[in-house]
Amino acid sequence: MHPDLLLMLLADARLPVAGHTQSGSLEPAVVRGLGAAEVPAYLRLRLRTVVTVDAGTAVVARALVDSHGAAAGLGVLDRAWAARTSSPALRDAARGQGRALLRLTERLWPQGPGATALRAVESPPRAVVLGALACDLGLPGPALARLVGYDDVQTVCAAALKLVPLDPAVVTGWVRDALPRIEEMAESVAGLSEPDQVPATGAPQIEVWAQAHAHTTRRLFRA
Amino acid sequence: MPDHADPVDPTRRRPLRLGICGPVGTGKSSLIALLCRELAGSLELAVVTNDIYTDEDARFLRSAGVLEVDRIRAVETGACPHTAIRDDITANLMAAEELEGTYPFLDVVMIESGGDNLTATFSPALVDAQVFVLDVAGGGDVARKGGPGIERADLLVVNKTDLAPYVGVDVVQMLADARSARDERPVVGLSRTDRDSIDQLTAWLADVLATHRAGTLVPVDPGPMAAHGDGVGHGHGHGHAGAHQH
Repeated sequence: MHPDLLLMLLADARLPVAGHTQSGSLEPAVVRGLGAAEVPAYLRLRLRTVVTVDAGTAVVARALVDSHGAAAGLGVLDRAWAARTSSPALRDAARGQGRALLRLTERLWPQGPGATALRAVESPPRAVVLGALACDLGLPGPALARLVGYDDVQTVCAAALKLVPLDPAVVTGWVRDALPRIEEMAESVAGLSEPDQVPATGAPQIEVWAQAHAHTTRRLFRA
Repeated sequence: MPDHADPVDPTRRRPLRLGICGPVGTGKSSLIALLCRELAGSLELAVVTNDIYTDEDARFLRSAGVLEVDRIRAVETGACPHTAIRDDITANLMAAEELEGTYPFLDVVMIESGGDNLTATFSPALVDAQVFVLDVAGGGDVARKGGPGIERADLLVVNKTDLAPYVGVDVVQMLADARSARDERPVVGLSRTDRDSIDQLTAWLADVLATHRAGTLVPVDPGPMAAHGDGVGHGHGHGHAGAHQH
């Protein structure tokens, strides 16, 4: 199977992993005054901070399964990711997304060494699940890192279409304009192979927003 | 098709998953609260709500005091209530499975859709049976207009029949329209103040639960497509209907 096709499958919003429940913390940002014109800057901020953590984590998960197979110790990586994702609300949301992707992995690709290694981790976040699955599917590290970046940009932009009224062509222009930034981010993490190499680039403002969002009773998106 | 077997004890079937859908304001949450009040003494129940804003229905149910708070879980739908019960049911399935994991003795998990429009119905991969809720205040002609939920949900509830005189609706005619739109499928005209109607509702649920436990309940897709014509939805929606009468 050509890896491009598998990459398209994993990047598709129609993948049944409850992607429609996520806004990439855009909802709390908008609630606290972020305007539509600032969304492109918000995308860049995320790519340089929280998305770098997730992409680095995914790349390392892929490398660990590649080197150690089913015996890959993904628990250490899980802890490294958690230490770099200080908001409990973001961690809960990412572990929820991980469960959703794990459900699909167990249904469609249960045999691979990555799928086996994941069973040893209690509720891994999406980045760890995606990285291990990417190894099983033969996706290269740089492609995986681009996937994490692209998915985040599209998640925020799709939520923007729900939260602030916009011409969808404008929003797709934001995605296009973010593509070089996705590539930069992906290049910065594509060669990582060990848990302690995962960048510690959290964004305190996003984490504060995410934390407040988890305690509001009137939200549209999970996170 | 959902797996009916309990993953821990295959001889025990997992709880019945019952979907409640219908337009905004027709009384889905009140129907669930009513079922909890009527049945909490005899059945172990839990609820998953899907709402516009996170947990308004969940808070309504919690404040009604009909179930312990932790048995009522809210799922965010990202402003896509239709998607969450039909195309990508993942968030709801995870919530149901988490409840079933925490409370392994459950009999019924009720899943309340976010109030959507007349075309929204549950995927049979998410629920074993579904109730579509209308109310008399929505207008006497709604049942006649039809739609997948009105025509082919396992049960149609026409709610708030006690309000009919105040909103100028001929409830007898509305129920007759509903029955003619549904062939032989059941219809309950419901009012909280009408004991007989509540008994009809709980008797229907007891019947469905017995069928589920016997392993003979086949989840039926009401479909988003019209039943008559050459559409691909026709065979599935109609084909199982005969085996699904109670």
